[in-house]
Amino acid sequence: MLDYDIIVRGPRNLRRWLRPQILFEVDGMLPFDPQPRENAFPMFEWGLNWCIATSAHRYMMLHAGTVAFGDRAMILPGTPGSGKSTLSAALHLRGARLLSDEFGLVRPEKGDLLPMPRGIPLKNTSIEAILEFDPAASLGPTYPKTRKGRVRHLRPDAQSLLAQHEPAVPRWLVFPKYRAGADESLLPLDKTEAFRQLAFNCFNYKLLGETAFRAVAKMVQDVDCYTFTFSRLDRAVEQLGALADAGREGGRR
Amino acid sequence: MNLLNCFLKDPVIARDWGVGEWNCFLPLARNARLLGRSLALFEQHDLLDIVPQRLIDQLRGALAQTRYVQVQALRELRQVARVLEHEGTDLMALKGVAYLVADLPPRGWRNLSDIDLMVPEEDIADAERALLRAGWQPSGEFDAYDQHYYRAWMHEVPPLVHHNRETEVDLHHNLAPPVSRIRIDANHLWDEARTVSDPYGLTVKVLGPADMLLHNAVHLYMNDELRGGLRDVMDFRDLFEHFIDQEAGFEDQLLKRAEVLGCGRPLYYAVSTAQRLAGLRLSVDFVRAVQRYAPVSAVAHFMTWLIEQALAPSRLGLRRSAVAHQLLFIRSHWVRMPLPMLLRHLWRKALKSKAPTSSIQETPG
Repeated sequence: MLDYDIIVRGPRNLRRWLRPQILFEVDGMLPFDPQPRENAFPMFEWGLNWCIATSAHRYMMLHAGTVAFGDRAMILPGTPGSGKSTLSAALHLRGARLLSDEFGLVRPEKGDLLPMPRGIPLKNTSIEAILEFDPAASLGPTYPKTRKGRVRHLRPDAQSLLAQHEPAVPRWLVFPKYRAGADESLLPLDKTEAFRQLAFNCFNYKLLGETAFRAVAKMVQDVDCYTFTFSRLDRAVEQLGALADAGREGGRR
Repeated sequence: MNLLNCFLKDPVIARDWGVGEWNCFLPLARNARLLGRSLALFEQHDLLDIVPQRLIDQLRGALAQTRYVQVQALRELRQVARVLEHEGTDLMALKGVAYLVADLPPRGWRNLSDIDLMVPEEDIADAERALLRAGWQPSGEFDAYDQHYYRAWMHEVPPLVHHNRETEVDLHHNLAPPVSRIRIDANHLWDEARTVSDPYGLTVKVLGPADMLLHNAVHLYMNDELRGGLRDVMDFRDLFEHFIDQEAGFEDQLLKRAEVLGCGRPLYYAVSTAQRLAGLRLSVDFVRAVQRYAPVSAVAHFMTWLIEQALAPSRLGLRRSAVAHQLLFIRSHWVRMPLPMLLRHLWRKALKSKAPTSSIQETPG
């Protein structure tokens, strides 16, 4: 079953002979201006995100990186620059199952998370950070000049792709904050404040109204909530990994 | 005739669909903004058990969005009504927002991107000023030419939007541009208007039932944005079926008003299109009566072909439908304004760059 009918193609104009361009067409509509042809893949990637963000209102959409340890999910909500993509990528490289680097798709009636593993677009200095963290990381080609800067994609592992239809249950909610030079510090977060921050990081909170209010409230009640300041990826991953190990042994708080 | 239109005409055909048909149906329905309407049709025909779960999810998602936009639209209407009531200006809701406030059938599924309102022509300048004072502002950059285009030639002022909110307000004084071939005396519309209220104390006018359908017809006849055109055709069918149930002698009323307002030709196109593409069932007498407004047969056939290519292409992105869109775009302007004005206008439009689309910068990730 298809969700969207997408064509990435060149426009039919004379310019194609001089500076070739590329269009993203979804269900017969063209939501974006044409981009230079060499950026076809990043455009496809963003186009997919656009499709989901503008239409997947069947779900509550969290702006979050999401990974799973077994069937227990760790949700890393954050605005661009918070380090959620980089952190999700690093956790994934250390064996966590990738659900998504960008979307936490929650079924409001069940509260579980649906995976959507795709290449993780690493931007600008994140690329070097990940290569330093794991020189063997499987990265795609470099797109030097996209609208969001320099981009390379990290390939998700086979296990994440095979499990892409298996939902995960939220267990930890960690609000990451990258701060250059800072020591890693993982602090418990008050549930009321967690509610406020999670609602803020929900794409369709206003649109879903009461449904989203209840789903966010249920989620912060069911999980352990933290803020996490970090600067060194290896230590950050170690600390969150330890949190996951402890959580799997112990019960819910 | 494409799969979506076959479905709109006779929803039970979906019982025989396989993956191929479902995969063809979803993009067509989304493009035509008929996802919410389709969900209602599946429900009404007891077909929910045969629809793939993934598609149900898409349809419910679309309906959730529609519900939100509807709340925003009614809220915007309430805000505008409050300002204009203070000014003592009569206010009429049109199209989507009128169906909402008058609680007509499209309310169950109708999406809308802006609210269309009408005030008497002599009050429109004051109404616009009052809204500007109360926090609304032009929704985009309108240069001197655009301003002239709206104020001198069109039946509306440049669209407004409140600085705290997102719903665009289109303020009209008529249903068709004063320079167009269809000249409607707006006084007739106000004479037949009905007053509706919602539970929160909002009171506005809406067009009388026949006029409401004629407005839909004029819109189909003149509109240059054909995407969503099929949704308007479905509105026509839904409203027609509703009023024929509710209003005694509705067909006669419709014919009479078409005569009074000079909208016979648009009525002919709307009726024949709704019949062909949306499965509207009509009495033989009514079809015969409307036939008198048809153009000469060659034109009628060509228009039938054009409308079908544009509103119901067999596949999305067909070049044939792109050509049909272009022709209808030119035609919509042709009926809107006299030739010299049209040429000048198209020339200006060609010089200006096209309307901006969403920026990739704003996409997640």
